[in-house]
Amino acid sequence: MRPIIGITSYVVPATWGVWRDLPSTLVPHDYVEAVTLAGGRAVLLPPDDRDADVLRALDGLVLAGGPDVDPALYGAACAPESEFVIERDAGELVLLRAALDADLPVLGVCRGMQLLTVAAGGTLHQHLPDVLGHERHRPGPGVYGEHEAVFTAGSRIAGLMGTDRAIHCFHHQGVADAGSLTVTGRAEDGLPEAVEDPARRFVLGVQWHPEYRRDQRLFGALVDAARTGMKENGTTCADR
Amino acid sequence: MRRPLIGLTSYATEVQYGRNDLMAAMLPMTYVRAVHAAGGRAVLITPDEPGTDVLEALDGIVFTGGGDVSPDAWNAEHHPATEVDAVRDAAELMLMRAALDADLPVLGICRGMQVMAVATGGSLHQHLPDLVGHERHRAAAGTDPLAAGASDYGRHDVVVDENSRAHELFGRTLVVNSFHHQAVADPGEFVPVGWCPDDRVVEIVEHPGRSFALGVQWHPERTTDLRTFTALTEAASVGAIIPA
Repeated sequence: MRPIIGITSYVVPATWGVWRDLPSTLVPHDYVEAVTLAGGRAVLLPPDDRDADVLRALDGLVLAGGPDVDPALYGAACAPESEFVIERDAGELVLLRAALDADLPVLGVCRGMQLLTVAAGGTLHQHLPDVLGHERHRPGPGVYGEHEAVFTAGSRIAGLMGTDRAIHCFHHQGVADAGSLTVTGRAEDGLPEAVEDPARRFVLGVQWHPEYRRDQRLFGALVDAARTGMKENGTTCADR
Repeated sequence: MRRPLIGLTSYATEVQYGRNDLMAAMLPMTYVRAVHAAGGRAVLITPDEPGTDVLEALDGIVFTGGGDVSPDAWNAEHHPATEVDAVRDAAELMLMRAALDADLPVLGICRGMQVMAVATGGSLHQHLPDLVGHERHRAAAGTDPLAAGASDYGRHDVVVDENSRAHELFGRTLVVNSFHHQAVADPGEFVPVGWCPDDRVVEIVEHPGRSFALGVQWHPERTTDLRTFTALTEAASVGAIIPA
């Protein structure tokens, strides 16, 4: 069977068909398509902080983009621009910590990279324009900031991206201190754009949105790592 | 004891939220909360990829509400009021057959119950008002059918066959909410065991040859009556305690 890739999801009031502002759990379909194209089977993980039980069914984890992370989780006072959802932070941290303990492959996207950072003991900038003096990481509503990233030679992300280093960003927070993670990519202004944990099988966070282009370099690498894990663990249908 | 893992089929549809208007994989949180309240762990199963291998990871599955099932599946002409999603139909009909083949515990809700019938060779009435001459299966009189509150569903009684497993769960009668304009005509391999007494519309089906395969035409996830979800998670727990 295909590796099962869990994607953490939003909870928002959503409007579709005959329904108006109905509390719903969702992710942009780009994530699902990116995982499917890479040969994985996507399932969505609505927030739930009771336990990390669901990990037993997963071969890999995508921490999707979303709202800010609660600054209390990295010991900072809340800036006026921070908007967070306690339910999502709690649910994702339970999953992420258990996933790291189990050495499950993890890809963090945007907020997901920030969550990886917080789980690694790092800290975030709560509003980048205050720090950088420009808005090029979130130019406007629905507009991606386009950057040329610089990657550390020999890092996982450098190997995956090759010569095409164009990235699409949409965020107003950023990594200040990466904690126990290694910063392996930066924007022109020096802002961390990629973090990795070289001690683990596959832990990669990117500040940009690879799902937007269904980037098979990144999603393919995640699914490959997930598939390798299935083989190493001898996972079969009967084990599930 | 670990919680049974319950898959929820989901929409892939154009959605507006916040400043966004985009294609999303999504489901109302009511289903997720109902599964969690009943002791399960919910994951959403997206319809884009019609493979069925994901069933191997699940202890149970809920086929959720949604749009109409295409009458192409039982070779009927499309009624003007029928609105279909071919991608979701293809994925769910295949998943339903595979889940029943594997005897995975299955709960069908509204559209999900209709998928049960169609996937096993049955058929649907495409537009109930043509058949029963009233709209009480869609909304209560005087309410806004587009509003999101549970009270906006039509309400009516259901009478349950005394010689059914559903009777053990629900007793002889219950009052349900209702929001549908299609209904089961031929239940396929399933057996109808509950009806709306006013018009004989099928409200409950069950599969006699499976450990747990129950379909209801109403929306228990939007009520405090979670007996259907509890029954599913209990059936799913039986599978979940088999040691790895």
